[in-house]
Amino acid sequence: MANDDIRFDNPLKQLGFEHDDIIPPGGFGAVMARAGLGKTSVMVQLALSAMLRGKRVLHISLDDPVKKINLWYKELFQLLVGRKNIGPQTGLWESILTKRFIMALKSNDFNVSKLEKRLTDLADQDIFSPDVIVIDGLLFDESIRHTMLDLKPLADGYASCIWFTVHIHRHEPAGPDGLPVQLTGVHDLVDAAILIHAEDKGIMVKKLKGGTASNERESLMIDPSTMLIKA
Amino acid sequence: MMKYDLDRIRNIGISAHIDSGKTTLTERILFFTKRIHAIHDVKGKDGIGATMDSMELEKERGITIASAATYCEWDGHHINIIDTPGHVDFTIEVERSLRVLDGAVLVLCSVGGVQSQSITVDQQMKRYKVPCIAFINKCDRNGADPFRVIDQLNTKLGHNAVAMQIPIGLEADLSGIVDLVSMKALYFDGDNGEIVRVEAIPDHLVEEAEEKREILIDKASLFSDELTEAVLEEAEIPDRLLIEALRKGTLKREITPTYMGSAYKNQGVQPLLDGVTRLLPCPSDIENEALDMDRNESPVALKSKKDGALVALAFKLEDGQYGQLTYIRVYQGSITKGDAVINVRNGKKIKIGRLARMHADQMEEIDSICAGHIGALFGVDCSSGDTFASPGLNLSMTSMFVPDPVISLSIKPQDNKAQINMAKALQRFTKEDPTFRTHVNEETSETIIEGMGELHLEVYVERMQREYSAKVETGQPEVAYRETITKKAEFNYTHKKQTGGAGQFGRVAGYMEPCDDHFIFENKITGGAIPTQYISACEKGFQGSLAKGPKMGYPVTGLRVVINDGASHSVDSSEMAFQAASKGAFQEGYAKAGSVINEPIMKVAVETPVEFQGNVMGSLNQRRGIIIGSQEDGPICVIEAQVPLAEMFGYSTVLRSLTKGTAQFTMEFASYKQVPQSISEELMKKVREKNA
Repeated sequence: MANDDIRFDNPLKQLGFEHDDIIPPGGFGAVMARAGLGKTSVMVQLALSAMLRGKRVLHISLDDPVKKINLWYKELFQLLVGRKNIGPQTGLWESILTKRFIMALKSNDFNVSKLEKRLTDLADQDIFSPDVIVIDGLLFDESIRHTMLDLKPLADGYASCIWFTVHIHRHEPAGPDGLPVQLTGVHDLVDAAILIHAEDKGIMVKKLKGGTASNERESLMIDPSTMLIKA
Repeated sequence: MMKYDLDRIRNIGISAHIDSGKTTLTERILFFTKRIHAIHDVKGKDGIGATMDSMELEKERGITIASAATYCEWDGHHINIIDTPGHVDFTIEVERSLRVLDGAVLVLCSVGGVQSQSITVDQQMKRYKVPCIAFINKCDRNGADPFRVIDQLNTKLGHNAVAMQIPIGLEADLSGIVDLVSMKALYFDGDNGEIVRVEAIPDHLVEEAEEKREILIDKASLFSDELTEAVLEEAEIPDRLLIEALRKGTLKREITPTYMGSAYKNQGVQPLLDGVTRLLPCPSDIENEALDMDRNESPVALKSKKDGALVALAFKLEDGQYGQLTYIRVYQGSITKGDAVINVRNGKKIKIGRLARMHADQMEEIDSICAGHIGALFGVDCSSGDTFASPGLNLSMTSMFVPDPVISLSIKPQDNKAQINMAKALQRFTKEDPTFRTHVNEETSETIIEGMGELHLEVYVERMQREYSAKVETGQPEVAYRETITKKAEFNYTHKKQTGGAGQFGRVAGYMEPCDDHFIFENKITGGAIPTQYISACEKGFQGSLAKGPKMGYPVTGLRVVINDGASHSVDSSEMAFQAASKGAFQEGYAKAGSVINEPIMKVAVETPVEFQGNVMGSLNQRRGIIIGSQEDGPICVIEAQVPLAEMFGYSTVLRSLTKGTAQFTMEFASYKQVPQSISEELMKKVREKNA
């Protein structure tokens, strides 16, 4: 079945973004949450939506091995397909596999020049060239601005947008601009920011920055049994 | 009787990458210890070949295929030596040798340095905790740089290597070595370098020698308080003190004393022998353990004494014209002709017949083999890795590590006679070499041989022809394809034979559709359209049709069959009739169900140094592989991919070539996936040609 027949719109678009891509090529986005609230899950759903729209996704994991990330993708794909009630889609899964490359690195080994070298290797061998880069597990500390500035030309060069997962902490006061303190110092570089947080009614996803579309929902909810963003 | 003074025994292996000079070195060792009286070169012009390469194939190809044991005497020490192959194809020979040896000489080429198999043998030495000294060979070659190799020992293998010598000249100018312990220059005179002349260090090398000696003393002092004190007091350092400290460090595997020279040019071998006797362990320096099978395999320390209960390990088998020759290492007690011993693995009692001491392919009969020694038993039926013990002792030694094969070939005898001989050959070779395996593929009925590399299998095929007159053909193993359907299709088939006499009648209607399971059969018959007693026959009919698919004869899978209508005859219907009807229904539905061919897809994981990542990914990509991802950990990267099995034939050779032998891969079945149209057409063409 062609990807057009099965479309998974980017659920985050409902928060008031104009396009399924959310951020433009060369742009940066952040998915922020405390530990265990679903940053990787939201990121994978974002990536799956992109893959099903024909985009190539490079998922860089600084914490988890390839196997684990692959399992996330497989399970969430099956849940999304199950939700649409369209029967098993083995052929579709096989076809979108070519649209994803997982790179697992040790967090203390990660640097932009290494990433550039790896991407060049992949491009030289005509193996993979990303439209979307997901960096899962990068520490947002004092050096993050420097890293993001180094990543800017890389993102522009590949015309890729880059999504970061950002780990925030309980009881941390917000920064001067009202955004989580991890974004202080880089808020000008970030085109969109999403926050996942726990409220009484459940795990909520809301927009912190970006998007100007008028049909905006204030927040979305995550189904804790599947970690899928509820339709 | 073997001479017995445990402190003066050395059991050593000579291991290295291909063509580093192991066999040539062993030949010189045997010559200088007067074990042999003439030197013959590996693939030399005289056609005789080196002593330790006794197999014809070894002499012809100039490579060592099987490990060979010998012994010699040097400076009052008895040295048992095992010369091992360098090719990874014969890695089992290194495994079995290092399992039973106490020490090793790691030979490195002064130009090539640390190479792929150097890394493997180093890991093998680590596995069995074998102390080693290094010998940097071929210092007469253009580009020789022994100190670069010492650096590589440290950076690539994590050793604490230290030079014991410096060369006097290099490349064509190599004329001797300076010994940094005695601080003397050594020259090797005579026709074959058999006369060691000791002189003062040449003036131009004094400064370098002093500098390197400082480093040597500095490193050795970490293993001796007495030496440290002497250094601090700036006292003269006696040779004995330095050697004792180095020996301590070597036995702990915390320092690697490194010698240098050129075995081919007869330079540096005698000092290496001194190193072996001074620095490598004797049997009592090594703690050997067995497992007590009566006490939950709890470890038991063995005493390297000739008195005491016997514990010995069989580490190599050779099937010769006089029966099986079993190489053993005795760890405790002794084994004497006429003794009754137990094979701990199978509990069988064995009477010891002839015992021998080996010198390459020659045997010297002896009366007994004592603890600390290596010898051979004649005519004892056992397996490699078996433990022999005195009656009443239920101790077992851990066996060697046996790596899994990485390559397979199909093998077919050319005629009946070859079939019988091939079977005999396979039985013998698989018994002798646990990395050489054979099985019959149930689906394709092919005989498959598996091994560690192309050379490994090539050698066995050659040996089959030479030693068993079994002419065989080899080829790529057949891939186990599958057929399946891609869409729902209905069937409505009547099986009728009513021409006279007992007839047959049955009609089966329903549909088939794809599913994820192998086969599902559902009965949705209502109103007794097909009597209940014939339903199982229907299922049998459909199931029986799966074995050989109509498209290309491959097994069919992924089918859900639902029967929802039919008809029967009160007289002519039977189980047989409905089975036939179901078979016909299957053919009818299958023809409309968009059948396709599926191929096995393997999950491939390649472990490679990071610098070859791109090449490896490219090679998998070229094989219709889908790269799932890459995982980096320091200098190593693991690339995971899904690749069709049909494309993986010969990949181990390609991978070795792409990564200079530094990468390895594993492969396991993942799933079945539809073959591309072009492959499907190719397969159909082959089937048509076969049928024609």
